[in-house]
Amino acid sequence: MPMSQFLLPDLGEGLEEAQVVQWLVDVGDIVQLNQPICQVETAKALVDIPSPFAGTVRVLHAQPGDMVLVGAPLITIEQPRTSPAPATSDEEHPPVLVGYGAGGPPQTFSRRRRGVDHGGASAVTVTPPPEATAVPGVERESKASPLVRKIAQERGIDLAAIRGTGPGGRIRVEDLESVAGPVAVAAPQPTTTAEDEERISTVGLRKAIAAKMMKSATTIPHFVEYSLFDATNLSALRDRLRGEGGPFAGQRLTFLPFFVRALVAAVQVHPIMNSRWDEEGNAIVVKRSISVGIATDTERGLVVPVIHNAHAMSFGEIAAEIERLVPLARAGKLDVRSMTGGSITITNVGAAGPVDTGAPLINAPEACVVGFGAIKLRPTVVGEQVLARPGAWISIACDHRIVDGATAAQFMGALVSGLENPDSLIQ
Amino acid sequence: MAKALHTHPQAREGDDNSIGSLVDAHGLLTPEAERDAAVSDDQLRELYRMMVICRRLDQEGLNLQRQGELGLWGPYVGHEAAQVGAALAMESTDWIFPYYRDFAMAVCRGIDPGNILTIFRGLTHGAWNPYEYRFAPFIIPVGTQVPHAVGFAVGCKFDHEQTAVLVGFGEGATSTGDWHEAMNFAGVFQAPVVFLCENNQWAISVPVEEQIAGRIVDRAAGYGFPGVRVDGTDVLTVYAVVRAAAQHARQGHGPVLVESVAYRLQAHTTSDDPTRYRTDADLDPWKGSDKDPIERCAERLRQRNAYDDTFAVAVAQEAEERASAMRQTLVAARPPHPESVFDLVFANPPASLMRERDEFTSSLEQGGAE
Ligand SMILES: Cc1ncc(C[n+]2csc(CCOP(=O)(O)OP(=O)(O)O)c2C)c(N)n1
Ligand SMILES: [Mg+2]
Repeated sequence: MPMSQFLLPDLGEGLEEAQVVQWLVDVGDIVQLNQPICQVETAKALVDIPSPFAGTVRVLHAQPGDMVLVGAPLITIEQPRTSPAPATSDEEHPPVLVGYGAGGPPQTFSRRRRGVDHGGASAVTVTPPPEATAVPGVERESKASPLVRKIAQERGIDLAAIRGTGPGGRIRVEDLESVAGPVAVAAPQPTTTAEDEERISTVGLRKAIAAKMMKSATTIPHFVEYSLFDATNLSALRDRLRGEGGPFAGQRLTFLPFFVRALVAAVQVHPIMNSRWDEEGNAIVVKRSISVGIATDTERGLVVPVIHNAHAMSFGEIAAEIERLVPLARAGKLDVRSMTGGSITITNVGAAGPVDTGAPLINAPEACVVGFGAIKLRPTVVGEQVLARPGAWISIACDHRIVDGATAAQFMGALVSGLENPDSLIQ
Repeated sequence: MAKALHTHPQAREGDDNSIGSLVDAHGLLTPEAERDAAVSDDQLRELYRMMVICRRLDQEGLNLQRQGELGLWGPYVGHEAAQVGAALAMESTDWIFPYYRDFAMAVCRGIDPGNILTIFRGLTHGAWNPYEYRFAPFIIPVGTQVPHAVGFAVGCKFDHEQTAVLVGFGEGATSTGDWHEAMNFAGVFQAPVVFLCENNQWAISVPVEEQIAGRIVDRAAGYGFPGVRVDGTDVLTVYAVVRAAAQHARQGHGPVLVESVAYRLQAHTTSDDPTRYRTDADLDPWKGSDKDPIERCAERLRQRNAYDDTFAVAVAQEAEERASAMRQTLVAARPPHPESVFDLVFANPPASLMRERDEFTSSLEQGGAE
């Protein structure tokens, strides 16, 4: 039975990748031609993909949440021998249009692979051998036809270093020959990566993070304020809740749901912290609902699952939602809604290592991100004495276009007060 | 020179309202006009058949794009009545100058849909010989086909041909200078042109109210010829009105503007995400069967006792077969030879171009382009 692999096409014009949102079929399912098989999200739109073949689903090459490069396999379908292979399987059929986006070998970036690419085809330029008619150091625009450019690229020849023999110095196919041997050796040169370097591809999630952080760092005027809070009461409360007979008995119960509740309570007093800067409308847009993003470290990189409408949730509901979302985020199984629509973000900088505090970058376009450091025993002045008490640093980074320092300080005050007197948080 | 060409005083005075009076305030054919048009049951069934086929082909175009077989697809669902009604209203001796969305017009002209698709696969610039089908190439630059059509129509008039020219465009195109120049020229020279505005209320993300102050149809008056606004979801109306307009043009009475009002039910093209600028609620008024060109036509047929399941099933079956045939033709299509870039521009290519071609040919032989 012929196996037909369907490669992700360029679904817009010049797209390089798409994210699998959900599969509408499973391995083993029988599918008809044009039956919707999955939904993917591109930079342009959410798109249903109709099956290009009829047959039995054998492999789903990506999981929901995975980024798939244009040209990488999406699904493998076994076609019944009798069916007139209508689409892309047979060799005679020219390849589907996979766009002109990414160079290098297309692949799916799953969390297993971590996006590490040991030397993609387009990564490195090979310097022409010295005996060629190279003109080192001469910077000029080289004249060459698209064909010549293509061959040069395939062989890693730097056209700027070649003197063309065609009319007006135009580089011809023959000129390439003198640089890199006969044309017949048209196979792409194996690319070389320096021994002590590893190249990590930046498609997929890493690329999205890079773009978002670049935007945050370069377009938002950040300022950060810090405060230490005394976690004695909070620690005691948590111990009580998860202790024997408590409502969370036998459960892990982290500090995160307390942070979320305290944040919601502080935002309710200072709604401006729950806003965004609207570039186009030249306005500040204050959200009525409070949806808290939780910056979560995953194998694939930073993901921010969102607790939607946290203001309408009880402490227990928030705790349960965190327990649901964070594992999904780590498994790369969040649906799109769970990753979007936040209005303010928490980053638990103390969770990943012995970190007291940091100056976080805002999750654009939000107004504010709140970082919580590790809770540990600290020398704390109580009355006239210095005592060892649990405490942690809070850092608040704000968009200075929206919020001034004094507002942030008052917000910090509300936050600290909520965490130091935590009983109200669990009501 | 102009006198003999453009003066038809009686047309300017007498006929201005005759076409407009074919429809009522809702843009629907009046009962009298319907009687006079005498569209037979068979003709109406043919309109229905082509609309069903074309809608299925549109769906398949979208599928093929999603499967990577086409680079781009511009859905025309919602335009079926306008395109099928107008195309079938023209005589085979008439000409049609389409815009990029007029796929159904091309199909009505008998052009193989699978061949048309080679354009959207990037294999051809125009997949048919315009003279063979009297159907000009699809035009992407908004509005430029309108002066082409008018110029061509004036040429027909010079040649004393009994030919009308239909030109299709969206409402967005009416903002272009080309469109106004063409309208003006057509009015002055009494060109035998039917301007068909397929007003689908959107030019990509720009809604019609941000495009035009007032009504498109009223602009015809400014250029000295009649305009008529029709319900673009009723194929019988479009058919009868465009047929009358073409007749008017052929008889030397000058141009007519037909504004067909419907709605773009899908994305502008597969590169567009309409959820960024319109909501599902915007579509609601256009989703009912009273706004569906095919359902409406079926209803008219039922009223005439000219519709039954056997007919409907046969048409649906034919639509399936044609969609499948279109797919097969497309995937069997091969890329053109690289040298064909030198064809089709010059009847007598200049020496410099021939030299380039020779150079290109020899580099292909040496390098192997593929
Ligand atoms: C001269 C020109 N400007 C801009 C574009 C980009 N463009 C393509 S389609 C389109 C909108 C046209 O809308 P309309 O005329 O209403 O036709 P529709 O697509 O709605 O059928 C635009 C702006 C173009 N193709 N040509
Ligand atoms: Mg439009």
